[in-house]
Amino acid sequence: MLEDELTVNTRQREGVAIIDLIGDVTTFAEEKINTAYQEVTNQGSRLVLLNFRQNDYINSAGIAILIGIVTEVNRNSQKLAVSGLSQHFQKIFRMVGLAQYADIYQDEDEAIQGFKSITTT
Amino acid sequence: MNINTTLIASMDISFPSELGYEIIVRDAVESFAHRHGFAPERLEDLRTSLCEACINAIEHGNQCVAHMRVDVRCQYDRKQFQIEIQDQGIRPFSPPERPYSIAEKLAGVGTLRGMGLQIIAHLTDESGFLENDERGNCFRMVFYCDLDRTSRY
Repeated sequence: MLEDELTVNTRQREGVAIIDLIGDVTTFAEEKINTAYQEVTNQGSRLVLLNFRQNDYINSAGIAILIGIVTEVNRNSQKLAVSGLSQHFQKIFRMVGLAQYADIYQDEDEAIQGFKSITTT
Repeated sequence: MNINTTLIASMDISFPSELGYEIIVRDAVESFAHRHGFAPERLEDLRTSLCEACINAIEHGNQCVAHMRVDVRCQYDRKQFQIEIQDQGIRPFSPPERPYSIAEKLAGVGTLRGMGLQIIAHLTDESGFLENDERGNCFRMVFYCDLDRTSRY
């Protein structure tokens, strides 16, 4: 089994819990992503942003982990968005249907504005 | 493996059934394709679909038994790039009845996994398992060439 190449950080910005996913999102990412999601959920976050950075590789096993996050987001009545994906991976996310459950933004700033427009309407 | 009489270039790679090796193969095949004029705007499609096919071979065909090999053959013949991914077939491919939608996955119907073939089908021009391969499962995928762009040879 070759080395895991993902770094996951969590932070807060303007009422949004941001989970930075830096690197490859594959089957090896499951524990890190789920732990980060649980952390921001335990803090009471209602708005969650998965902020992708330097993602050379996202495969179907990684997408399955994200679908698992969507399941939890729905269960916990949170709002989920993603940002920072390349055009290619945005295409893949739309293809598998993830875009129906998480708004896709070009970058973090756009996502924060998107959350603001949702919460003020 | 198919014999192509107009073959311009080919490359074979063999690797153990360990997750992560698909990245090494991906980078090698990308380099091969780029060198032979593969359309830059489709390189990402090639990279993603190849990784998915390799993962299927590792996880399903060879059941992650590390010493079982996965063989990848790339062929370029001016009209198309063809890639065949051969496993040793501990588990023969059995097609799913149908792919589950994300709504069904979220509702707990079916596994969260199982999207690899769906993704490959969207990103390639042809894809599918070859029938009656005695050595195991052989998955073939094809990318058609833009002939103007690939006139380097």
